[in-house]
Amino acid sequence: MGDAVARRVVAALPLLLIISVGVFGLIHLIPGGPLAVYLSSPGVRPEDLERLSRALGLDQPLWRQYLQWLAGFVRGDWGYSFSDGRPVFDRVAERLPATLELMGASLILALVVTLPLGVLPAVSRRWSSLSVISFAGISLPVFWFGLVLQLVFAVGLGWLPSSGRTTPGDGGVIDRFTHVLLPATMLAAVHAAAWSRYLRASIGATLAQPFVQAARARGVPNRRVVLIHALRPALLPVLTIVLLDTALMVAGTVVTESVFAWPGLGSLFTEALARRDYTVLMAMLMLASTAVVLFNLVADVLYPALDPRVRQ
Amino acid sequence: MQQVQQVRRVPQALRPLSPQTLRLVLLLVLIALVPASSCARRPAGPAPSNELLIIGYDREPDTLNRFSTHILEDIQTNVIEGLTTTDEHMNIIPLLASEVPTLENGGVWMRPDGGMDVTWKLRPGVTWHDGTPLTSADVKFTVDAINDPAYNPESTDGFDRIASVDTPDALTAVVHYKEVYAPYALQFFRGTLPKHVLEGRDIDTATDYNRSPLGTGPYRVAEWKSGEFIRLERVPSYWRGPQYPRIRQLLFRFISNTNTRINQLKSGEVHLVAMFPWDKHREVEGVAGVRVHRTPGNAYEHVTLNQKAVPAFRDVRVRRALMHAIDRELIVKTILDGLAPVTHGPIQPVSWAFTDDTAKYAFDPARAKTLLSEAGWADGKLTFTLIAQAGFAVRETVAQVLQRQFRDVGVDMKIELHDGTTISSVWFEGKFQAMLHWWQMPADPELTLFFATDRTPPRGRNINYITDQPLTDLVYAADRTVDRAERTRLLGLAQQRIADLLPELPLYGITKLDAIPVGLQGFKGNPTNVGVFWNVHEWEMR
Repeated sequence: MGDAVARRVVAALPLLLIISVGVFGLIHLIPGGPLAVYLSSPGVRPEDLERLSRALGLDQPLWRQYLQWLAGFVRGDWGYSFSDGRPVFDRVAERLPATLELMGASLILALVVTLPLGVLPAVSRRWSSLSVISFAGISLPVFWFGLVLQLVFAVGLGWLPSSGRTTPGDGGVIDRFTHVLLPATMLAAVHAAAWSRYLRASIGATLAQPFVQAARARGVPNRRVVLIHALRPALLPVLTIVLLDTALMVAGTVVTESVFAWPGLGSLFTEALARRDYTVLMAMLMLASTAVVLFNLVADVLYPALDPRVRQ
Repeated sequence: MQQVQQVRRVPQALRPLSPQTLRLVLLLVLIALVPASSCARRPAGPAPSNELLIIGYDREPDTLNRFSTHILEDIQTNVIEGLTTTDEHMNIIPLLASEVPTLENGGVWMRPDGGMDVTWKLRPGVTWHDGTPLTSADVKFTVDAINDPAYNPESTDGFDRIASVDTPDALTAVVHYKEVYAPYALQFFRGTLPKHVLEGRDIDTATDYNRSPLGTGPYRVAEWKSGEFIRLERVPSYWRGPQYPRIRQLLFRFISNTNTRINQLKSGEVHLVAMFPWDKHREVEGVAGVRVHRTPGNAYEHVTLNQKAVPAFRDVRVRRALMHAIDRELIVKTILDGLAPVTHGPIQPVSWAFTDDTAKYAFDPARAKTLLSEAGWADGKLTFTLIAQAGFAVRETVAQVLQRQFRDVGVDMKIELHDGTTISSVWFEGKFQAMLHWWQMPADPELTLFFATDRTPPRGRNINYITDQPLTDLVYAADRTVDRAERTRLLGLAQQRIADLLPELPLYGITKLDAIPVGLQGFKGNPTNVGVFWNVHEWEMR
């Protein structure tokens, strides 16, 4: 088992290297560069641009820029941000907790919603109308949903703050909790809807299995059949999806954080992309790729732990 | 019996709730009430007061060092003061200088060798926030630092024309220019660098200064929470007197999404949003406790016609035909909601150099068609692509109207939208045919950059690629003239020449819209990129 994990980790390294080449090439293919923002300023002249370009190392050939970046990156030196001159590591590190907080809250919220939405319709036909909620959730335009949440709960009812992570000068537990609710709801909505539909389908498939029929034949009540006999095996495929989606949730934070002015990695990514801040973009894209690879690995490791059949 | 049967067939949704469902609903409501009740005790945000004003700001600044950034941040304006600034009428007024040097007051002297000397008299009694007096040595240090290859300021424009700075006494700095430089009065509008803090250091990496600069202004940076906000606090001994500034704290919250910024304004979480987009105008007008302040801006929306890329644009008849084809009054009345005036040239009425005595082109589709066929572009032959920045609702709509109005005279225009950074590099490389955009013009009406033949990119912003010697001579002559009356005359002639040649199609002037609290007194707005905080010391909540 330990060997298998080690093999997977080693196999992931060349994959990440290939990704880094691809990502580096792609972000340099986007029209405009880190100096484009200066162009709109009338005082900036060609000699200024040349000077800035030299200072940022942008006058070097692309392959050399990549090798320099790679040499630094593997040593833990992620370079300096092109926009504010601070170390990239600092910029990413100071934004990471906010994103983890948001993702954690969304994950909990999504799971809390997923379980009843997925299980209850299987327990009794009385709950079958719940699937309408999942359907509505999947169909939501996320961006719009976030703005509606703001309009209803912040502007209309005045219950919750419309955006941001804390009230300046406060930042207590309740303050943090009220701030995270709306963005977490927005980020969780699509996932919860999708996951509950997976779960329901998975339970449906499990209920058709012979061992479930056997349980029913023994006179086990339906509720017990669903919750005890069918739920655990039905959760397995859903768990894989949850883990993979969690890594992909990072992508969702880009939109959510921008709508809710959430000071995390998603909003940093938006800023860095608009500025073509190559060093920050590279660090973040590599982090995200690593996260996806890592969560795949975790899913592989967890699967046998939950399903004795896979262990053999 | 029959009736009972029917009742049972009523769809599930219409049945009374089962006890289980009821329990669940109650539980959900309770869960929802926990946060709601804790919030209900807390208002959406504090009301604007002389204690605190919260500003919804559209981005997080890269740096607060005014010389290192391409954007003049509103936040910096509160902390760092220039020797001069521009007021709400775009007049250059003294700030840390005791007066603006001119030929008349002896502050400007034309040297016989073709250069000029500008004598800056500093206001006595001004100290940096740490108590050190501001002196002419800071002015000299600033010029030397910017011209030092070791430092990477955004631009060295103007500074590189300075040969040296003399400091005969602590409050006098004499700046020796190698040549005549007409916009000299704005040379130090970004302020000065504090010598005693930065001397001998690498300014690019002086994070302490770049994140919390030492200034002379009414506020200092109290807290910068990355990604969230910057909080400014009034300084106790501001040079204008202990009564200034009247508002104790300014809190700039970074909210890049426009809808969110407006929502925060509505919920009372922010009090002031400067320069919000026009399509939000009606929405903001309706917000209680907020009023909209309008300032005619020093910027104009226009269609740039790239003569290098589209040979047809080199014919003045084609350019005039396109102008005649546009119903600008209609655009202003409908899409722009009457917010912006029709404009006829690059210099706006807010500028001292503006002249109304120029050729104008009325909406006249018949005339447009005649001109087009004279030029050999009769019905349907002329086609080109217009680029514009995505995400500006008003601009996208205007582009569509132009498309329609051009089609009416037989011109086929396609529209392409790009993100801001892409647009910048596309025009810089001249790789476009036509572009709908606006220029924020310099407070000093320097037209050379935009219209001189030799100022095409990368040397300038002449992206119409207009080549006209008389116009080039006029704008350069104006640049080398310090005398105001003569400069006005030259710039008047240049505006007439531009109106005749019509290198670009001027559409409308930009009106800046600022959402401010109803009770805020002393807010004046500003047409230039100096921003609305230039007179923040006078602001007061009543």
